[in-house]
Amino acid sequence: MTALAPATSTPARIRPRRTWAGVLIGVALPVLAVASLFIGVSEVSPAALLEGGPDGDAASLLLLSRVPRTVSAVLVGASLAIAGLIMQMLVRNRFVEPGTTGVTEFATLGMLVSLVLWPGMPVFGKMGVAAIFGLVGTWVFLRVIRQVPVRQLVLVPLVGIMLGGIVGAVTAFVAYRLDLLQSLSQWSLGSFATIMQGRYEYVWIAAVMVVVAWVAADRFSVIGLGEEFAVNLGLDYRRVVAIGMVVIAVITAAVLVTAGMIPFLGLVVPNIVSLIIGDNVRRSIPWVAGLGAVFVLACDILARTLRFPYEIPLGVVVGIVGAGLFLWLLLRRGSRAH
Amino acid sequence: MTLKPTRPLLAAPIALAAAVALVGCATAGDAGTDAAEETTDATVSFSWDRNIAGEDEDPEYEATTVEVPVDPETIVVFDIASLDTIGALGGDVAGAPLENVPGYLEGYLSDDAFNAGTLFEADLIEIESHQPDLIVIGGRSAGLWEDLNEIAPTVDLSLTGGFLETLERNTTFLGEVLGAEDEAAAAIVELEAGIAQAQAVTAEAGSGLGVMVTGGELRALAPAAGEGAREARGGLIYDVFGVAPVVDDITAATHGEPVSFEFLLEHDPDVLWVVDRDAATGAEDAQPAAEVLDNEIVQQTTAYADDRIVYLDPVAWYIVFGGIDTTQLMIDDVLAIAE
Repeated sequence: MTALAPATSTPARIRPRRTWAGVLIGVALPVLAVASLFIGVSEVSPAALLEGGPDGDAASLLLLSRVPRTVSAVLVGASLAIAGLIMQMLVRNRFVEPGTTGVTEFATLGMLVSLVLWPGMPVFGKMGVAAIFGLVGTWVFLRVIRQVPVRQLVLVPLVGIMLGGIVGAVTAFVAYRLDLLQSLSQWSLGSFATIMQGRYEYVWIAAVMVVVAWVAADRFSVIGLGEEFAVNLGLDYRRVVAIGMVVIAVITAAVLVTAGMIPFLGLVVPNIVSLIIGDNVRRSIPWVAGLGAVFVLACDILARTLRFPYEIPLGVVVGIVGAGLFLWLLLRRGSRAH
Repeated sequence: MTLKPTRPLLAAPIALAAAVALVGCATAGDAGTDAAEETTDATVSFSWDRNIAGEDEDPEYEATTVEVPVDPETIVVFDIASLDTIGALGGDVAGAPLENVPGYLEGYLSDDAFNAGTLFEADLIEIESHQPDLIVIGGRSAGLWEDLNEIAPTVDLSLTGGFLETLERNTTFLGEVLGAEDEAAAAIVELEAGIAQAQAVTAEAGSGLGVMVTGGELRALAPAAGEGAREARGGLIYDVFGVAPVVDDITAATHGEPVSFEFLLEHDPDVLWVVDRDAATGAEDAQPAAEVLDNEIVQQTTAYADDRIVYLDPVAWYIVFGGIDTTQLMIDDVLAIAE
């Protein structure tokens, strides 16, 4: 923080903070990922791995259980945060994410419908149904938002939460009538406890969506400047919005079938990143993905260790940590406005 | 006769007035059924500590006694275990939450049985229109007492104390009500012998772990350790059937503690007792738990290698748990590992 020429004072003030944050994410991600590999009920330590032993239990557990769990934590965190970022660009509002716009609730309804109508359906099919419902949800939300005359900052997520509330009520009612309420709450409460090989692979589809988002990043940046501006720049506005909707819906559905609902993530992570490096989507995508992954990894490690050898549902941990961070963001914004 | 025995002075005149009213009715009523009415005048009294606090508040108990007519004609039951016992003792039930009556107990409903609501909620208008003589509630429906007791004498046969004590208390009481004391006594003797036999089997079987599978997740069930009531259902496998828990520090919780597959492998019980919650309540032919447990980590466990993953009848163990036929089903589930 040495004194610099006035002309460069703004970037100079940001840069050290950026470097600092970048290094933190860059270090935390591999450290947490390695820790995640070696934390668990069974003995899987680097030493046990080296010994190999007559049965090679540690190595097989590492592959069967630890690697899938770590990979899904990373991918879920990264993709959900990206889904939040894209949503924020599409709606031009910092307070939206799939969980505050009804998309998650629509996808959950889709899961329930597939569970009831086709109980034997493979997970891939369930995810497809959930994604289609999520897509409908995104579309409905965007339509409704268009009709709202005053685009106040807080009004948009409020409308979304209301929409989610209605769909959530329908889901709860159906589940109640069919005595599935407890199962519903069980799989909608995010958790990686039973993640293992063969039960997590669908998060790779979410990872593909992250790549799509990356490729289309610049377009989302332009979309974030408004429809008129985007059209004037010669952008096919509707197509970019459609790509964004698909990315959001598929990520939401993939995360839902593997881990369940994870609140606040898509809201908090892009906001923190935007505070650090601004709103350029191409530049912020790796940051958002990295920070999202770090966030979920850390919460999952907490979920595994706080009540060892039992687990606390991840959704609970993320909810508490995320709500705290969100509050901090809000208060911080308020203080800056003064 | 009196609901609150703390007020004997008030109760006496009320009882007198009631007696006068009854006599008045009897003389005014049709004379042809006099003999039948004679027997229904006899009552059995049932006393329990009723929880008068709301569902999520600290329990607050009030001693409650209800006089129940002997040989009641129209019985409405919300407690499925009591439906089981009433049926097994030769009675039949006129109204129940029909959607929650499992297939193996449907025969105990009268042919024109009406739907009385759900396990949690009563259809008061429907019940009132059938003018029941006795209403039995318990467990999930315990909070309905005040509303239902206005319609007809209502008793709460919820679990109190241990499973066996409750089974014995309820069976004896319902036996008296139905005039089937001998059958009730015989059933108790038979069930106790069956449970002793099951305990002998589990004592040989080594350590065990009860897990509930729901929504694709695993939950370790805990011994109730005297907690009774709601906590008991997860712990029945240990508390009643004598399974030696492979871990003894699981906190008693209605739906168990979330665990990973690694937890199963690490603690490696000799027998894994599985309650498939989704099969109990969801699609009838689905066995989602088997799918969840069909993986390479579970396949490394002793229970898998010895073919000792036992799927318990989910309806019996999770929904009903209690009642004569159901307890026999539970005994058979446990005895199955002896073959």
